[in-house]
Amino acid sequence: MTSYLDTQTIVSRSAFAAQMVLAVLLLPLACGARQEKGKATSSNHDLSGVWKMPPEAYGHYDQSFGTTDLPMTPWAQGKFEAAKPSEGPKSVTIAQLNDPFYACYPPGVPRIYLHPFAMQIVQTPKEVIQLFEYDHLVRHIYIDGRSHPGDPDPTWMGNAIGHWKGATLVVDTIGFNDKSWIDRVGHPHSEKLHTIERFRRVNQSTIQMDLTLEDPMAYTKTIEKQFVFVLQPKWGILEHVCIDNAEFLEFNNREVQPAK
Amino acid sequence: MKCKRVILAAFSAGLLLMCGQLYAHHGGAEYDRSKSLSLKGTITDFRFINPHVLFQFETKNEKGEVEKWQGEVSNPLQLTRQGWNRHTFKSGDEVTFIGNPAKSGAKSLWIDRIILPNGQDAGQLHNRY
Repeated sequence: MTSYLDTQTIVSRSAFAAQMVLAVLLLPLACGARQEKGKATSSNHDLSGVWKMPPEAYGHYDQSFGTTDLPMTPWAQGKFEAAKPSEGPKSVTIAQLNDPFYACYPPGVPRIYLHPFAMQIVQTPKEVIQLFEYDHLVRHIYIDGRSHPGDPDPTWMGNAIGHWKGATLVVDTIGFNDKSWIDRVGHPHSEKLHTIERFRRVNQSTIQMDLTLEDPMAYTKTIEKQFVFVLQPKWGILEHVCIDNAEFLEFNNREVQPAK
Repeated sequence: MKCKRVILAAFSAGLLLMCGQLYAHHGGAEYDRSKSLSLKGTITDFRFINPHVLFQFETKNEKGEVEKWQGEVSNPLQLTRQGWNRHTFKSGDEVTFIGNPAKSGAKSLWIDRIILPNGQDAGQLHNRY
């Protein structure tokens, strides 16, 4: 004999079934969220935005580490004495200097942080990309688990890899050439330069970066410095072309000629 | 133009209240930081260019003779963020330039401040934090 369910029962069982289906569909999301929370939330891995360079990049500080008393080796001391910088106690006129920065070569790391131009950070799953306003330099920090090449060809900005340690992005860079200075007052570095930058977004508008600089050929001790970057929500990256300076050089020639 | 200058002046007033002594960052060696000149002049050229924004202007010396001078301020990106552009000044504008003269004796100035005809400051001119 056929029996029929009453309407109330049908509705009740249908609702229950729908809830079960929904639960099954949402289960992976719920599990994923729990796993994400276990690692770290995406928000404290977010360094993205346009950032103002630290105070050391501005005129008060000679765009340096704030001292000429870095622990140089004899090799570095010789290089420093041969340097003819635009800033600091040994500064010379533009026509006299031998700072590669003035020839529009890349400033390298950490000097890229010592010039008053903006920096945009863009993140992908495999890279943290720094878009520097200064001469539109781009730096790729690979966070895909790769190691440094065994014997990287030296470059101006080096070979950078990174990984997240909690809320801190740890960036390890080697493979620099020795053609740049680490600051504007003329401190040198060798191809043995090794930098570690630890970036942490301490609040919505601030990144704190702790720099460790090692170069056994140039410095007898590790150099450490902290830089602070402030978010600039209203800034975009503007165009800066270093080599577009012919008119300025002509101006500069006039300023150093004695008055007639 | 007047409205823009008022805005610039208001911005600069706040900055000057916050900031201490004006410090001119540059190569440094070309200019005598121990001297300060105030030159009232007429702009003859304004170049909003890299790496430093440039002025050419005429001013009268103590004898009443017209002298041709040049001056420089900060990089254009810094100034863009303070509302400057290539139209901020033009030939014929009369302003007062205050800055450090060239060590060579050339008629060249590292400009710290530009005072507008209404007495207000044209804004923050150099790389300051």
